[in-house]
Amino acid sequence: MRRILRLFLPLTIVAASLVTAMIAAPHPGNQLEMPFPLEHAASMMQESAVTVSLIAVWLLAAVGLTLMSGREVRSSSIELRHSALHCFTLGLVAVTSFVLTAIVFSYLIPFFVGVPLLFMLAVFAVITKIYGLVAVFHALGALIGGARTRDELASRNWLRGDLALAVLGLVVLGALRLIPVVGPVIWAGASVFGVGSALATKFGRREPWFLAVRTA
Amino acid sequence: MKTQSCERYLEDPEANAGHLAECEECRALFGETAVATKPLHIEALPLAPWEGAKHRPWPLVALVAFVLLAASVVLCRMAGVSAAEIADHVIGSMQARRAAVLGWADSLREASRAAQIGFVAAFVIVNAVLIALLRRAPRGIDA
Repeated sequence: MRRILRLFLPLTIVAASLVTAMIAAPHPGNQLEMPFPLEHAASMMQESAVTVSLIAVWLLAAVGLTLMSGREVRSSSIELRHSALHCFTLGLVAVTSFVLTAIVFSYLIPFFVGVPLLFMLAVFAVITKIYGLVAVFHALGALIGGARTRDELASRNWLRGDLALAVLGLVVLGALRLIPVVGPVIWAGASVFGVGSALATKFGRREPWFLAVRTA
Repeated sequence: MKTQSCERYLEDPEANAGHLAECEECRALFGETAVATKPLHIEALPLAPWEGAKHRPWPLVALVAFVLLAASVVLCRMAGVSAAEIADHVIGSMQARRAAVLGWADSLREASRAAQIGFVAAFVIVNAVLIALLRRAPRGIDA
């Protein structure tokens, strides 16, 4: 129970803050436009600045989550490496389900229950994305720089342990994210993998989502 | 009856293998077991994922954090973007997604009956597939 609280309490606070900020901040209606026109003046430089700043925030999330729940992150990372296709399929279906469920919940907004349901769905989606992407960082780091033998592991001073693998994965994926056009697509793909691995392992706890019905 | 020789054998069966020939009691217990045992070489086993996992290389983390922060500050200065604008950008992109979902919901309300039935069918099918996929047990092994 303490492990669950240690993992979910900070994540829920962060996700709830993000969703609250999204709802509370003034927005330009239903128009799909950015708050400041990145496309216009020196857009390339601005985009890079925003991306690098966001990668720095992701570093904070990766370090914090790996320190708090290293075992869970490792478990999701292993699942991602062992069943990549399953995680990707699950991630795609889950993201589609989030969107369709949000549309259904938005129908319920006039009946009061819609707003809390939408809020909870958004918080759950943000938690899943943050946790899942950190698992992807770990998996990528383990694929690229993970030790294969004990001798190799013993000879390393820095590049060993969950924290180093997560940071390495973040650096690699962050560097890919900086590539124009392709970078955001790679990042979005990684997010889908992450959502899939988070849900496939129930946030690294490897417990079933549903109770099995046993007939007598 | 347990003797010192028996204890030595229990501590290191391979080094004291000759003890079995001397002690009938130990021979009965360990001499010819139904399960064939082989000496276990830990070094020959594949590296487990948890080995060395707790190691925390703080210099690496500090170095990466410093480089990222420095790059962020330099790029923000060059581009003339403040931290508040970046936060605005993040919140704005999330709001854009929210607006898109609400827009789709609005357009679905005004859509034909067939489109609405199609949406309900898609909702049921996608969630049924999601539940089916969630029922599969994880495969990766973490000892």
